[in-house]
Amino acid sequence: MAKKDYMVRMRNIRKSYGENTVLKNIDLDVKKGEVLAIIGPSGSGKSTLLRCLNHLESIDSGTIEVVGETFATDDGYGSASYVSPKEERKFLGYMGMVFQQFNLFPHMTVMENLIKAPMLVQKKSREEILPLAQSLLEKVGLSDKADSYPGRLSGGQQQRVAIARALCMQPEIMLFDEPTSALDPELTGEVLRTMRQLAEEHMTMLVVTHEMNFAREVANKVMFMADGFVVEQGTPEEVFGNPQQERTRSFLHNML
Amino acid sequence: MNELGHYITPLLEGTGVTLEIFLLTFVLVLPLGLIAALGRLSRFRIVRMVLEVYIWLMRGTPLMLQLLFVYFALPLAGIKLPDIAAALLAFTLNYTAYFAEIFRAGIQSINKGQYEAAHMLGMTYPQTMWHIIIPQMVRRVLPPMSNETINLVKDTSLIYILAMNDLLRAARTIVQREFDMTPFVVAACFYLGMTFVLTWVFKRLEDHFGRYEL
Ligand SMILES: Nc1ncnc2c1ncn2[C@@H]1O[C@H](COP(=O)(O)OP(=O)(O)O)[C@@H](O)[C@H]1O
Ligand SMILES: [Mg+2]
Repeated sequence: MAKKDYMVRMRNIRKSYGENTVLKNIDLDVKKGEVLAIIGPSGSGKSTLLRCLNHLESIDSGTIEVVGETFATDDGYGSASYVSPKEERKFLGYMGMVFQQFNLFPHMTVMENLIKAPMLVQKKSREEILPLAQSLLEKVGLSDKADSYPGRLSGGQQQRVAIARALCMQPEIMLFDEPTSALDPELTGEVLRTMRQLAEEHMTMLVVTHEMNFAREVANKVMFMADGFVVEQGTPEEVFGNPQQERTRSFLHNML
Repeated sequence: MNELGHYITPLLEGTGVTLEIFLLTFVLVLPLGLIAALGRLSRFRIVRMVLEVYIWLMRGTPLMLQLLFVYFALPLAGIKLPDIAAALLAFTLNYTAYFAEIFRAGIQSINKGQYEAAHMLGMTYPQTMWHIIIPQMVRRVLPPMSNETINLVKDTSLIYILAMNDLLRAARTIVQREFDMTPFVVAACFYLGMTFVLTWVFKRLEDHFGRYEL
């Protein structure tokens, strides 16, 4: 497979907070159109892994390639650096991120949340971006909320706006960090449906989740992490149907 | 009642001086306070330290002392400012420190998820501050800003020691000349009028900037 068919490649990723090593030599590959579900107990480093990938945190060593280009690299002596802030914008443009806490901009309407960054960052005019923004709102089922402020929406609606906002930048890869964990159980369905639809359209996705049914049904690949290690990975059938590691078995047992 | 007529002209003129000092200081303090607040949060230690010392000095000594210092000490150093400029300098230096602290607290109260969302959308630091953080900060700092602004109106009366004919000094001059307390009462009403208008303006601003809240 050609190098550029990999949307994300992480090699030998290490990351510590002081004495606490949170990521211990993680390798990760995601191909175009793949959905990778990252599961594991809380504190195992799942969020940190995503946050290192998009440079909300910095890796200590290892290399990161995004869409076949080097985003962060090792100097060979165990310390890594990311590309310059100017170049970084291009890489961030490849990735959209959906947070557990939505992180919508509360002082802007739903529509402004969607079009602000395309206008500021991609220098698009309002007219240029409006059709895409409207179609995305329609896609997440919130056309009628374009002029509402996020504070007036339910959690599920807010998270769908957050997904539409990320998509409005036309990313190649979508990152989700427990997108339904802050939601009341009856609201998770609408968000998962939107994500499922994205997967069906062959969006490349990295999804940290506790929704085992979603991981089983939607993901092409499942990665189980514990204590900063990748304990086991494989197809959903392999990981859920026939886990090889005791840690995986006991984790899955507790989740069901 | 007849007398009220000839009180009123000097008192109105005094109000003009008071308003002039107030408005000019206020207009200067807003951007300077914001810049100082951003400096206090700068990643450069030296910038943070310089501003910390500045704010400590301004908040730790009486405004009256600062005013006298600018008025008397600067001329000794060969810098002669017109009275109004000296007063403006002292008030601006002092109030910039207070506003900087208000703005800093406001900026720090914004959830870090807002910065993270902006980062992921590719926004630069200035874009993030200008479009995301500061608009939300404004809503939160309006109540403390309102308090400080009203304090500023009242503190302008300190310039009476500089022999400038502000509202308070105009009133005192008449009281001393005519042994009649009425001008003080009228001056009090004028101050109340100004602070009333300010309170109302800030209330309107709070409604405007808070329109996105439930
Ligand atoms: N900013 C931080 N500073 C210090 N420690 C952190 C920080 N963020 C996460 N950690 C630690 O890193 C470990 C992994 O955290 P995290 O990636 O959030 O796990 P997960 O998302 O799998 O629950 C935890 O032990 C957590 O306490
Ligand atoms: Mg997490």
